[in-house]
Amino acid sequence: MKVRDVVYKDLKLIFSDKKALVIMILMPIILSSILSMALSGSFTDYSIKKSIDIAIVKEYDKNKELKKFKNNLSNGIFSKNMSNEDINNMTTKVKDFNIENIFFNEFLDNKEIKEIINYKVLKRSDAINKLKNKELTAIVILPKDFIFDMHTNILTPFRNKVDIKVIGDPDESIKSKIVESVMKGFSQQISTLVIGKNVFIETALNEGIGYEVFNDIETIISDMTSNIKSNNINLDYEKINGKKSISSFSYYAVAMATMFILFAAGYGSRTLLEEKENITYQRMVISGTRKFKILAGKYFTIFTLALIQIITMVIFSSILLKANWGSFPLVMLISLCVVFAIAGLGILIAVITYKIGNYKVANVFESAIIQVMALLGGSFIPVEVMPEFIQKLGSFTINGLALKSYIKVMMGYGINEIFSSLLTLLIIGVIFIIISVTLLKREERWKYVKYNKVKTYETA
Amino acid sequence: MALLEVKNLEKDFKEVKAVDDISFKVQKGEIFGLLGPNGAGKSTTISIISTLLKPTKGDIKYKGESIVKNSKLIQPKLGVVPQEIALYPELSGYENLKFWGHAYNIRGKKLKKRIEDVSEIIGVKERLKDKISKYSGGMKRRINIGAALLHEPELLIMDEPTVGIDPQSRNHILETVNKLNEKGTTVIYTSHYMEEVEAICTRINIMDKGKIIASGTKDELIEIINGNKKINLKFDKVSQSLIKDLESIEYISKLDVSENEIIISSNNGENIFKDITEVVTASDSSLISIDINKPNLEAVFLHLTGRALRD
Ligand SMILES: Nc1ncnc2c1ncn2[C@@H]1O[C@H](COP(=O)(O)OP(=O)(O)OP(=O)(O)O)[C@@H](O)[C@H]1O
Ligand SMILES: [Mg+2]
Repeated sequence: MKVRDVVYKDLKLIFSDKKALVIMILMPIILSSILSMALSGSFTDYSIKKSIDIAIVKEYDKNKELKKFKNNLSNGIFSKNMSNEDINNMTTKVKDFNIENIFFNEFLDNKEIKEIINYKVLKRSDAINKLKNKELTAIVILPKDFIFDMHTNILTPFRNKVDIKVIGDPDESIKSKIVESVMKGFSQQISTLVIGKNVFIETALNEGIGYEVFNDIETIISDMTSNIKSNNINLDYEKINGKKSISSFSYYAVAMATMFILFAAGYGSRTLLEEKENITYQRMVISGTRKFKILAGKYFTIFTLALIQIITMVIFSSILLKANWGSFPLVMLISLCVVFAIAGLGILIAVITYKIGNYKVANVFESAIIQVMALLGGSFIPVEVMPEFIQKLGSFTINGLALKSYIKVMMGYGINEIFSSLLTLLIIGVIFIIISVTLLKREERWKYVKYNKVKTYETA
Repeated sequence: MALLEVKNLEKDFKEVKAVDDISFKVQKGEIFGLLGPNGAGKSTTISIISTLLKPTKGDIKYKGESIVKNSKLIQPKLGVVPQEIALYPELSGYENLKFWGHAYNIRGKKLKKRIEDVSEIIGVKERLKDKISKYSGGMKRRINIGAALLHEPELLIMDEPTVGIDPQSRNHILETVNKLNEKGTTVIYTSHYMEEVEAICTRINIMDKGKIIASGTKDELIEIINGNKKINLKFDKVSQSLIKDLESIEYISKLDVSENEIIISSNNGENIFKDITEVVTASDSSLISIDINKPNLEAVFLHLTGRALRD
């Protein structure tokens, strides 16, 4: 006997079982349609709104650079043609102008930015270490002369180049990109202002208005802060967000697919004891089939069945619900990993059911455990709205891990973002397989029954 | 060398000693009968031979080698027809046969041919496309047998293959066994119907409570109780002189006399009929009927255990 003979026969049995087909193939399709339609209103913008942790490294020396700027100011480097009055005027303005305050308090602590970005100010070496340990997603480096250059740019007619550097975790490319574009948003905002100011100053000078314009520097500064708070940067943020948002149809296609493959495990978990009660298990053993081959047969039956369920759902939801599953190779990869784990779970329950000799465990699994797993894993409502500890629990369920991975791929994330979930799935699968095989091995003393349908124990 | 040799086999279940130190040999080419009442230990013995159970004690040798140690020696050569229907009810007869063919690694054209041949032998050809669950009891039994024949086993073990089916199917099955045996298959046939065992088996073991209580050919077994022939005579009336004359006949061990009936028990019977007829003709009682109880395995079992084979 070959393993595939068992699989082939079991699949034939399943496809002749109308009830099983309805539950495993039809139900998820119907449910996902109903749920997504019912909930689409309250479900416009589902996205993983996890905060991004970054470090800010200050490579500048504030006091020194401020002094340098003031010196330059009083040495007349900036102020060749300025009257003393103007210079005094400007110096007081300098005291009011605080770029650090603008960057940290007005910009980074801005409500919308805060929702996605958490920052800490760190030393460069500490920040790099943390980035390596994955405690951070990105590092933003404010370069040497940042204060000096910023003051120069804002308060004088001169323009110095300021390079804010972002170092991102390559495994978190999307998140790093978010940080990058947020920083870009900031720089752009500044340079718009700087250009505006320069144009303003030049015009003023040409018109011979003189340096009274610096009286207006206050307005410029406050314009700058309020500008930073509003549109432009938020726009950037939303662009990224917009790319990630997925429809309720897509969400529930995934949610139902990942939930209903649990029923494949449930279905498969009964078949081992069924074979024993049918005496077909014994008959296979008599024919010389090793029981691990039979178990492998059950494993691949569940594997194939769950894969069929997922593929059906992908095809159905793509065509009729216009769900977009994202990268096909990644969807396949996730699918293979999740059915690997699901099949492991299935045979584990199968072996336990077989050894106990009744269907109680399989029944409890189907009627209660699946529902709990579905809830924890986010098949009913997205886990993001649930308490943190439930989210933690959910991230250990097979369906939860799968759902998270599919959603990420739908949002356009790459392999790096789902790698750890996939690895967890594979580990779960391996553990279940090992336990199942060990349990079945120990059966020698607890021998299968004789032909008659009497459950008995053997004295070894 | 015997094809199969069972040596001092014992099997304990928790409280039950299902098989209690039995030994026997099955020769190539015979139909070996295992007769016994419910719970005698037949199925247990068969389970051990078919490597499904390990014996508590003892050994089984197939062509001289222990199959308890190495089950692979017998598995491909052995066909087992379980007492219960061991098939997939939701698959068709054909699909079931195909699966069990695969179980013995028969595939492709060869399997197709074998399914054709086997369904011919068991007489199910027209119904092969139907689901097993739609079959009658007899049809199910036939497929159950067919599934054990696909790989042309050297040794075929049948565990009560005729339980609960119509006489027609039963006869067909018995004929099938004979046909297979003629083509060279050795058969171990288990039953608690003594008629079946009598009809087809060349040698018979009678089992009871885990032990073999008698073994031999049918005639040898009947010989055990030949002395206990019973002859039932009915007369219009029974006279004292008739009784006296009968009592004087040699070999008659016992006379049960009632109003107009005499039951004669005899422990050796070659010439006893002649003597009885002489006495009866000479008497003044006229004989109404004579009924001779031919000994059968049922009687052998009754004789050996004091119990009937079936309740
Ligand atoms: N797995 C088991 N556990 C405990 N007792 C068992 C087991 N199998 C059989 N027995 C007991 O062993 C004895 C022999 O059973 P077995 O099935 O071998 O008898 P049998 O001759 O085949 O009877 P039947 O005609 O009813 O099939 C019976 O008392 C039965 O209850
Ligand atoms: Mg039996």
